[in-house]
Amino acid sequence: MAGLNEPRTHRRIDMNENENKIADFNRRDFLKGGSAATLLTMLGGVELFAQTNAAPAEAKAAGPKLRIAVIGLGTWGREIVNTLARLPKAEVAAICDTYPASVRRSATAAPGAAQTEDYKTILDNKDIKAVVIATPTHQHKDLVLAALKAGKHVYCEAPLANSIDDARAIAATAKAAKQVNFQAGLQFRADPQRHFLVPFIRSGAMGQSLMARAQFHKKQSWRQVSPKPEREKELNWRLSKETSAGLVGEIGIHAIDQATWFLNAQPVAVTGFGSLALWKDGRDVFDTVQALVEFPGGVFMNYNASLANSFDGEYEMLYGSDAAVMMRESKAWLFKEVDSPLLGWEVYARKETFYQETGIALVANASKSVPANPQASAEAAITSTPLAYALTTFLKNSADLGAAVEDALAVIGPDDPEQLAAQIAKVPRLPAPGYLEGFQATVLAIKANEAIQAHQRIELKKEWSELS
Amino acid sequence: MKLRTLIAGNLALLLLAGLSVQAADEATRFYARAGSKLRLEGTSNIHDWQVESSLIGGYLEVGPGFPVEPGQAAAPGKVQAQAEPFVMVRSLKSLEKDGKPYSDRMDEVMYEHLKAQDDQKARITFHLADLTLKEPAKSKDAPYVFEAKGDLVVGGVTNQLTMPVNILPLGDKKLKVTGATSVKMTDFKIDPPAPKIALGMIKTGDDVKVSFEWMVGQRAAPAAAK
Repeated sequence: MAGLNEPRTHRRIDMNENENKIADFNRRDFLKGGSAATLLTMLGGVELFAQTNAAPAEAKAAGPKLRIAVIGLGTWGREIVNTLARLPKAEVAAICDTYPASVRRSATAAPGAAQTEDYKTILDNKDIKAVVIATPTHQHKDLVLAALKAGKHVYCEAPLANSIDDARAIAATAKAAKQVNFQAGLQFRADPQRHFLVPFIRSGAMGQSLMARAQFHKKQSWRQVSPKPEREKELNWRLSKETSAGLVGEIGIHAIDQATWFLNAQPVAVTGFGSLALWKDGRDVFDTVQALVEFPGGVFMNYNASLANSFDGEYEMLYGSDAAVMMRESKAWLFKEVDSPLLGWEVYARKETFYQETGIALVANASKSVPANPQASAEAAITSTPLAYALTTFLKNSADLGAAVEDALAVIGPDDPEQLAAQIAKVPRLPAPGYLEGFQATVLAIKANEAIQAHQRIELKKEWSELS
Repeated sequence: MKLRTLIAGNLALLLLAGLSVQAADEATRFYARAGSKLRLEGTSNIHDWQVESSLIGGYLEVGPGFPVEPGQAAAPGKVQAQAEPFVMVRSLKSLEKDGKPYSDRMDEVMYEHLKAQDDQKARITFHLADLTLKEPAKSKDAPYVFEAKGDLVVGGVTNQLTMPVNILPLGDKKLKVTGATSVKMTDFKIDPPAPKIALGMIKTGDDVKVSFEWMVGQRAAPAAAK
């Protein structure tokens, strides 16, 4: 049975208790002929997780690495450098920031990378095939457009931009640049754990969609300090209305976009509220926000985020008439209604308890003979994050597209753009958020922020998120 | 016959002769186009597998009299032809039965066995030695059936191959070349891959079915410089 044989990688001791219960209870249940519903209630929450190919770190570094540069080395940019440095298919060729201290700090993770304060040296370097743009949001557009023009594959952090016009410019340019790969930093969309959930949810296993909920609670200031006032203003771009779409733009965009993905629908309206409750330090961006996103068919999503309280951290939920699904970090659990049909596999699945609810682990391709979970290790902790999966997908799609373009140019020649385009269109790609998903998510986040700032309901016009 | 007619007729004959002499010396080269496919199918102890590439490069050069137009008359027998089609190993990708990408790991094992891990330019090449027309096309929409003999080079190892090949003129100076054959990995000194997985070991079968669809066309002359 999968639950008994899995390695003891989980920190929670109730897992062991549950596993013993599974063994005992199944024997008793079999003997007594007890109901499956009783079984599930007794056994605790069941975890959902994708049994993917092993974590990227385990793949041998076969074949060439993609030479990639990171532009923008703030907290998240450095996280990207750390992650890339551990991915077998990446060679961090250059790191760039206008602030020298940030460049030096990032060099520890990527000692072989060229260090520069001028992004143009990266774009002029023909050996560097891809760039990650992780600068403050309001600086994305110029960099992305220049990188695409220079023929680089581009990973642009989400939100794409702070204005719909800028986001549209990025998306339109990416759309036209057929010979390079563009991926938006909506890392949930490249996460195999979540990919597994999409068909599961769409299969109707949850019954009728009712509502969605997500939260981000983390008590933190977001303010960074610097002895130089100019630098301090730069560092704190997130705290100014001019340069930041606030919590919903920088954080909520992922959860809200995920809901559009799972529900397979664009919202029709968004209502928002917010306040500066705790961090009254001169910022004009709210530290506590609420947004209600309306989907077609009477389905609503409630999003709240706060920098003033940490209870229960960050998670997303989707509610259906037969079950609810909770997603936390890279894990997911199914909570079944007592009267919902038995799917069958959940009898053997691992379970966990949340509050007083039992969650069933959702495991893609689970079988009793396959180990339930890769061994946790320090490497896996870094290389199994949604960001690691997103970057791995970007590296693969970029490398494959780059090779296909090179080969097509060599075989067909450059003088027949129609044929080249036809050839390039055939290149298989791993699922990833492209320019359209990035653009639509950005528009939604910008409008949600507007609603929050004005304490208003905004009806979302279709043409705002359409690309011609 | 009147003298004028005789002269005119002879002139016409001379012109025609001149033209056909010119044609007799001219080979026609067809270059690779988009829309091709090379498919490899095999077996293993776990499941059947399939690998495809959508780009076949190279050229086909044919002599005069070769059927390049739909329904063109052509007599069976050996034809003048040269061809050097190739496939970049890195363009080969494993697929599920429904055509979706299958596995990076399998691709990497394949590239390793084809000696293409460190050589991004590694190719599978066919050098045509002989082409014989077996059956002319039965209609304008039907292909000409040939037998092709040549050398197939995989991972630096060469084997002679004979296979049936159909050529269908599509009009507009394009041809569709299709064919299928079977090969054994061990003939190319490739040990059928046996990678270890969680469940034990995959043992790949030695036999591989090869089928292809190669689209070729004549290139337009470059525009005259202004």
